[in-house]
Amino acid sequence: MLRLIATRAALGVLTLLAVSVLIFLCTEILPGDVASAVLGNQATPEALAAFRKELGYDQPAWARYLSWLTGALQGDLGQALTNKRDIVDEIGPRFFNTLFLAGYAALVAVPLSVGLGVVAAIREGRPVDRISNIVTLMTISVPEFFIGYILIVIFAVQLGWFPSLATVFSGMSVAERLYVTTLPAVTLTMLVAAHMLRMTRTSVLSVMSSPYIEMAFLKGMTRGRVVARHALPNAAAPIITVVALNLAYLIVGVVVVEAVFVYPGVGQYMVDAVSKRDVPVIQACGLLFAAVFVGLNTLADIASIMVNPRLRNQR
Amino acid sequence: MTTDSTPGSGLIVDRRQLMAGAAALGLSTAFAAPTFAQETPQKGGTLRLGMEGGSASDSLDPTTYADSIPIAYSLMFWNTLVEIDDTGNATPELFESWEAKPGAAEWIFNVRKDIVFSNGKTLDADDVIHSINLHRGETKSPAKGILEPITEIKKLSPTQIQITLSGGNADLPFVLSDYHLIIVPAGYTDFANPIGTGAFLMESFEPGVRILAKRKDGDYWKPGRGNFDGVELRYIGDSAARTQALITGQVDAANRLDPKTANLVMKAPNIEVVRSPGTGLRYAFVARCDTAPYDNNDVRLGLKYGIDRQKIIDTVFNGFASLGNDHLIGQSNKYFDPSLEQRMYDPDKAAFHFKKAGMTGPFTVEVSEGAYSGATDCGVLYQEALAGAGAALDVKRVSADGYWDNIWLKSPFCAVYWGSRPTADLQYSQTFLSDAAWNDSHWKRPEFDKLIIEARAELDESKRKEMYAEAQRMVNEDGGMICFAVSDFLDGYSSKVRGAAAHARYDLNDQRIAEKGWFAG
Repeated sequence: MLRLIATRAALGVLTLLAVSVLIFLCTEILPGDVASAVLGNQATPEALAAFRKELGYDQPAWARYLSWLTGALQGDLGQALTNKRDIVDEIGPRFFNTLFLAGYAALVAVPLSVGLGVVAAIREGRPVDRISNIVTLMTISVPEFFIGYILIVIFAVQLGWFPSLATVFSGMSVAERLYVTTLPAVTLTMLVAAHMLRMTRTSVLSVMSSPYIEMAFLKGMTRGRVVARHALPNAAAPIITVVALNLAYLIVGVVVVEAVFVYPGVGQYMVDAVSKRDVPVIQACGLLFAAVFVGLNTLADIASIMVNPRLRNQR
Repeated sequence: MTTDSTPGSGLIVDRRQLMAGAAALGLSTAFAAPTFAQETPQKGGTLRLGMEGGSASDSLDPTTYADSIPIAYSLMFWNTLVEIDDTGNATPELFESWEAKPGAAEWIFNVRKDIVFSNGKTLDADDVIHSINLHRGETKSPAKGILEPITEIKKLSPTQIQITLSGGNADLPFVLSDYHLIIVPAGYTDFANPIGTGAFLMESFEPGVRILAKRKDGDYWKPGRGNFDGVELRYIGDSAARTQALITGQVDAANRLDPKTANLVMKAPNIEVVRSPGTGLRYAFVARCDTAPYDNNDVRLGLKYGIDRQKIIDTVFNGFASLGNDHLIGQSNKYFDPSLEQRMYDPDKAAFHFKKAGMTGPFTVEVSEGAYSGATDCGVLYQEALAGAGAALDVKRVSADGYWDNIWLKSPFCAVYWGSRPTADLQYSQTFLSDAAWNDSHWKRPEFDKLIIEARAELDESKRKEMYAEAQRMVNEDGGMICFAVSDFLDGYSSKVRGAAAHARYDLNDQRIAEKGWFAG
């Protein structure tokens, strides 16, 4: 089993390396360049040339890739081209914000959807199953900004319970942060709940037809107990994978939600950087997102291996 | 004139200079907006601004400013040399007064006395020279271009400098009102820690998130200004979020309201919408005058008469724009010539010109949302209107990415917007002079060049007005710019905010609402 885990981890690192090459290549072929984006339409050709030289664009691409990669490995992502601030310092608090919002949403969404999924499996075909299915399908079917605006209209404009701006600042207490980020967290919860709920329900139901489940019923156990004790542990692997996928989505896929609620996360930072052609920042954000995504998926694979009774009890 | 220390007294005194002098004498006339003169500004409160026009990459370095938010926060901490008043005249700020020698190539400026920086240093000529020189020579400052004509800046005394230009320019005070030209102490370049003469001190700077400022102790040097105890400027790039924040009272003022929803915002209780007509962006389609078929002026005239300006304004801009008259000078500019007839949609005239040219298209115009938001819709409406004049137009939609690099200045007929320039001279020098780098219409008329260069050095106001009227007529009748609309600035304010007037230059009262405004008691 250790070898399996090591292979997965090594594959994760390789994937990340490949992604870093892709990110670099993609930023190379972006149309337009930072010099004209930063200097706007008042730039003189002279100023443009001076700026481009300052950015090191006179060197070949592979040399810039290597120096970028070695820097990134040492935790140095360079400076933003536009305002000369250190990217690691800039991205740190923003990444924390993103994690905070994702964590908040995950704390609500994961227990809620896995719990509801199990309940739906126990009560298959009953009203609670139908209703939870329909509601979560509805929320996943509309775009996230729409849910966001609906929540704002109801809870910020009409009722006035929560602020429409979810901007958090350094020095805010945890309670304040939780309060202002409630609406975006609820939006995100509605986005990811359906996927996890349905996967939980399906995985549990698929093992329900196995002979050992039938045996458990024959022993006289209640349906709830059978699901909790016998079905769930064996259905865990696909659930873990889908939870990890959704956690990754909560971190890397929240750009639109961040924009709607004016939340200072990494997504917003990356969008700003793209519009200004600030290549090092785009690369840093891309790398960070890729690392989160690959990391969470690798972790999910490893966790699936570890919870699989057959792999765990290898002889 | 109040400038007694200036040599050469036999000058022509024009209206603008007279006003400048008067303002130097009695500050109250210059610094109190007439609309609010009867109300006494009150101290206190924190102004919360929700703004678009900046990003996480903003910095405090004045050689990087390019959008509304950097202008707004820099004017909290710093002052410029010359301020533009509500009606678009240059009035003294850190320059107390000025005078041009005949020919307008040599200027004497007097530095305001007894102004103290936040580090305790008193403002003098060296600080001014250092601050201007940040944008000259080896620099990537966007202001470098407009300062290029300056050949020498000489210190005459600790409070007086002389600026020499390579050619006459009666608009030099306007040029010096540029928002990049904030005044810092001599030798200072550590912009991350602002040292300025402005009303506020920086408390926290999180670009892309928010900027916090608090009022300096003691009296601000401009009477009646700098009233708020603090300012909180939030970046709210999403216009729906910005409008919500204003309506739910999370911010006291917001810029760039969406014209599509501005009517609804106006109905909200306790919200005032301030509209500055014809000060925003000049929306246009530009045709190259040296490329067939646009080298024929009848084709250009057909294209000008064949666009339904009012319909585009009503449909695309929801009515919040003014008619453009193909010459780029906005109606808030003092050289705007109201006697020049406004060109309207006239399919018969358009058809006449197309027939005279023997051409009815199809013409191809390249549009993109990267040119300006709504450009595609404008193009489609243009197509429809031209069809009414019997001409065909292909609207070719191109990518927003790299629009300014790959399409503009390269395409024979494409969408373009022009920002408002502080003076008629800059507006025309950058766009229509034969050798201008951004002469996107490739319109080359030596007599126009001559007119503009003469008008630039002309100190006689009435003569100058005539010259610019003639320039507008030439561009209107012969140029390749089909400028159909000029957008309005739309600011939203909580009704307790005072000092929120429309301004001739920028929105949010020339981006100075933090300095100029106050809360009603």
